[in-house]
Amino acid sequence: MAIIGNKKYQERINEHLAKYPDKRSAVMPLLYIAQEEYGWVNDEGIAEVAQLCDMDATQVKSIAGFYTMYSEKPKGKYWLQVCTDLACALRGADELHHELLHELGIEEGGTTEDGMFTAEHVMCLAGCDRAPMLQCNFHFVEAVGGLTMAHLRELIAAARQDDKTLQKLIAKWRDEVNKQVQQS
Amino acid sequence: MAETKLVTITIDGKAYQVPAGSNLVDAAKWHADNDIPVFCYHPKMAPVGMCRMCVVELGMVEKDRATGEVIMENGQPKVRWMPKLQTACTQVATDGMVVRTDTDKVKAGRESVIEFLLTSHPLDCPICDKGGECPLQNLTMAHGNGVSRMNFADKLKLDKHVPLGDLIYLDEERCIQCARCIRFQDEIVGDDVLAFHERGRRLQIITKSDPGFDTYFSGNTTDICPVGALTTADFRFGARPWELTDVPSICPHDAAGTNISLSTRLDRDFGGRAMIKRVMPRQNEAVNEIWISDRTRFVHHFTRSDDRLQSPMVRRGERLSPTVWNEAIPALAEVLKAANGDVAVLAGGGASNEDLWELRQLLKGLGSERLGAWTTHSGAELLLEVGVGKGSNLGTLGKGDAILVVASDLEEEVPMWYLRVKQAQDRGAFLAVANHRPTRLAEIASQTERKVASQTERKPLVGKSVLYEAGKAAHWLNDLANSDPELYNTLKDAQNLVIIAGAEGLDWDGGRALMQAAANLLIAGGHVGKPNNGLMATLPEANGMGLQYLGYTTQNALDIIKNPPSVLITAQCDPLGDDPTAGSWMSKVNTLITLTLFPDDTTQRAAFALPVQSFAERDGTFINGERRVQRFYTAQGPMGDALPLWEIIARLRERLGQGRAKVSAAAVMLELSNHLPSFNGIRYKDLAQVERQYPDVGGKDLYYGGTAYQNKGGLGVQLPTTADNGSAPTTGTVNLPEVKQAKKGELLLIPTVRLYNRSHIMRPSALIANRVAKPFAALNNADAKKLGIKHGDRVEVRFNGGQATVTAQVSDSTPQGVVFVPRYLADTPTPMVITSASVVKVSDAVAVQ
Ligand code: SF4
Ligand code: FES
Ligand code: FES
Repeated sequence: MAIIGNKKYQERINEHLAKYPDKRSAVMPLLYIAQEEYGWVNDEGIAEVAQLCDMDATQVKSIAGFYTMYSEKPKGKYWLQVCTDLACALRGADELHHELLHELGIEEGGTTEDGMFTAEHVMCLAGCDRAPMLQCNFHFVEAVGGLTMAHLRELIAAARQDDKTLQKLIAKWRDEVNKQVQQS
Repeated sequence: MAETKLVTITIDGKAYQVPAGSNLVDAAKWHADNDIPVFCYHPKMAPVGMCRMCVVELGMVEKDRATGEVIMENGQPKVRWMPKLQTACTQVATDGMVVRTDTDKVKAGRESVIEFLLTSHPLDCPICDKGGECPLQNLTMAHGNGVSRMNFADKLKLDKHVPLGDLIYLDEERCIQCARCIRFQDEIVGDDVLAFHERGRRLQIITKSDPGFDTYFSGNTTDICPVGALTTADFRFGARPWELTDVPSICPHDAAGTNISLSTRLDRDFGGRAMIKRVMPRQNEAVNEIWISDRTRFVHHFTRSDDRLQSPMVRRGERLSPTVWNEAIPALAEVLKAANGDVAVLAGGGASNEDLWELRQLLKGLGSERLGAWTTHSGAELLLEVGVGKGSNLGTLGKGDAILVVASDLEEEVPMWYLRVKQAQDRGAFLAVANHRPTRLAEIASQTERKVASQTERKPLVGKSVLYEAGKAAHWLNDLANSDPELYNTLKDAQNLVIIAGAEGLDWDGGRALMQAAANLLIAGGHVGKPNNGLMATLPEANGMGLQYLGYTTQNALDIIKNPPSVLITAQCDPLGDDPTAGSWMSKVNTLITLTLFPDDTTQRAAFALPVQSFAERDGTFINGERRVQRFYTAQGPMGDALPLWEIIARLRERLGQGRAKVSAAAVMLELSNHLPSFNGIRYKDLAQVERQYPDVGGKDLYYGGTAYQNKGGLGVQLPTTADNGSAPTTGTVNLPEVKQAKKGELLLIPTVRLYNRSHIMRPSALIANRVAKPFAALNNADAKKLGIKHGDRVEVRFNGGQATVTAQVSDSTPQGVVFVPRYLADTPTPMVITSASVVKVSDAVAVQ
């Protein structure tokens, strides 16, 4: 599909474009929409965003290249990002990161053969209080006592079942964390 | 820079008076002869402070707050130094500024920057095209540490052969990320088709345009790139800079008269003769600054194409067969004698002044004055009266000034003027663009602001784009005071006004009417006889102006067409290839003599075809559209038996008893300028005069402005107009011609100009082949519908004298009732002037590959 003329995004695109006096200011939110549609920021997406923002495709590509949250390579359905910055590193994030790659049988930044998972390490996700921190498709995944490989295996299995099971699991862990926070 | 206030700055202990607000790097170079090393800074672009190479110690003389007196300490003014090194390129000269460039601290700063830049540099200078003229190499020699502390294994490996397009290659490892190339495209050209991708050490240059690196000025980035990261596909691995001899020359392609330098070498590929290896800009701030278009840079291969005519040919029966000059010249003399004065010349804008003079004298000796100009433009005589005033420089137009470009697609016709006009608008000049179809420049004119990535503020722009009815340029301009008084007054009342006229959609009568209307507006506003005011025209080729000065006119050409002479000499023009209707009058000529670079359509009918040398093989002069007489020098070895056009004629004249043949182009110029008062007696040596130009680019330091050349061949001499000389021009009547009408069921065919086409001169440059548009005809949606034509269909355009099979381009930007057919794209000649034509579908879009 495309994002231009796609009913699914029409409203959001218009909203973003209307937000700024200058169309090119909307380039970043629109790149996210392109990424949502194609799973990554591909050349079609670049061309469409360039058209929407009235910019040269080169400039759009440049922006996509500068920010790490735009992926310029195809990604799996689930994009797992393990923080290995200082706080998380102190809580064993490096091991977690390596074990995760091992579990999935991929290299850093790689994608599983079934196209389900991409895993990579990233800089601070601003969730240091719950280190080691992991993001799945840009949403925090957290668990009481901190994420362990056991959690991740459960997460992978749930995702392989279906998306609903996965979301339920993530929500359950979050509830547990919140409950604990309230109690303390 | 003349009127600005001067301030005192101290550099390395010496005081200098410099204009307030001038950039410190520029000021140090110009006034103190102190070369502060730079990589990212470029005198033609805004500073960005990215590379840190230009660090200096910076301080301010302290003054007593109360009294404003300079505080003294030990008999010296007390200086408050900034605690850290500062980048000179981001400083502007202010009163009391104190700069040190020779301290240990500065040296250490420079050394560290170089070391940092070299941490991952490939150091492949021995195979790098820039080696020998590389800013990084030079600055490393000057400021670098002899040894590296880097671990070789940590060196980043990146792609070394990335084609950004057909013309430019990127070596990612060599790039030092100064962004000069990006900023050039963004700030100077306004096509932001280059950008950085990724960040940190992986930062690279990319382009996503289609075709890649899509601009007419891409080659300039290779000159300003301070390393060998950007190279041209033309010169890449072609020669080492130190083997090259640089010969001053002039771009032969258009009226800008761009100053170039032909880098030549005795080359195996050219039989050991001197051969052009590359074309480089030569600084002339009044003409092209330090820029050249890609056509100027990449279209030089025709000069040594095997397709060129290489020996004199004489017709024997049906066929032209080769002969030698010693036989051709006497035979020609016989023909001319027998003509009894019934001879005429048609000359194109490629012939030099010397050529045109000899031809003129030849005809005079034979008793004829029929000197015709073979050109699409007419009314050039007005340029001698109200052309831009002596001392004009488009580079100085700005706020309060106005420019009108009418009936021209300037980017395609004279790209250098396009660039300079666009920049004048950047500086605040009012830009009006009028045409019967949208053009790139019109788009620029209608922008109200421009955002340059490297600068935070948006530049407000003033301008207007106007669409008039097809072919009605003269009508529009003549009636402007009534139809659009606001625009008329803006132009008329501007401080300075320059009008650039083209000839799109106009025949000779229409063109003359347009020029007269433009002259009237200029005269009405007092915009004549002074610098930065007056008329310019996009005369085709390099010497359209010379034709006019030497007495070759379109009026005479018209007369030649109406009453063809017994003997016609065509000089560097191809009437039969240019105009499908030329055959009808040409058939009345008994003997056709053609002086030509290539065997062309006219050659096929000629009794004599005589090979002339190209601009690269000989000396000569052209007069550009701003009436600047400029000299080009012999650079390349000759092709076959070709001779300079003037020499062929000089020999012929000698044979005819018209006096001894002159021995050099300089001698021809001497005679010419002694006879024609408009030339003011100029000599070759006057044309070779140079002076220091600001900014001082192209000196032995290569980092300041890039590899553009210092001008050692001459800045040329601008001829004054009659208005400059004090004779007040008077407005003339505009003889509005009847606008051509299409026949019933037909469309009005309007020829247009494309920068890249398939003319004889372009074809040998294989590099640009992909950039040449496929032959097309542009139609309006409604017309196409009526004719049952869809976008992309194969169509036949039929007109008086021929037809062309092309692809239909259907859009709303083409006005109704009109079909635009670019010249020199199709395989067969297409019309040179506006005419009626039918467009018939041949096959479907799908059938076209
Ligand atoms: S390619 Fe050359 S000009 Fe462009 S950023 Fe790199 S070093 Fe600078
Ligand atoms: S260090 Fe991992 S989230 Fe901040
Ligand atoms: S920072 Fe001044 S030249 Fe680069």
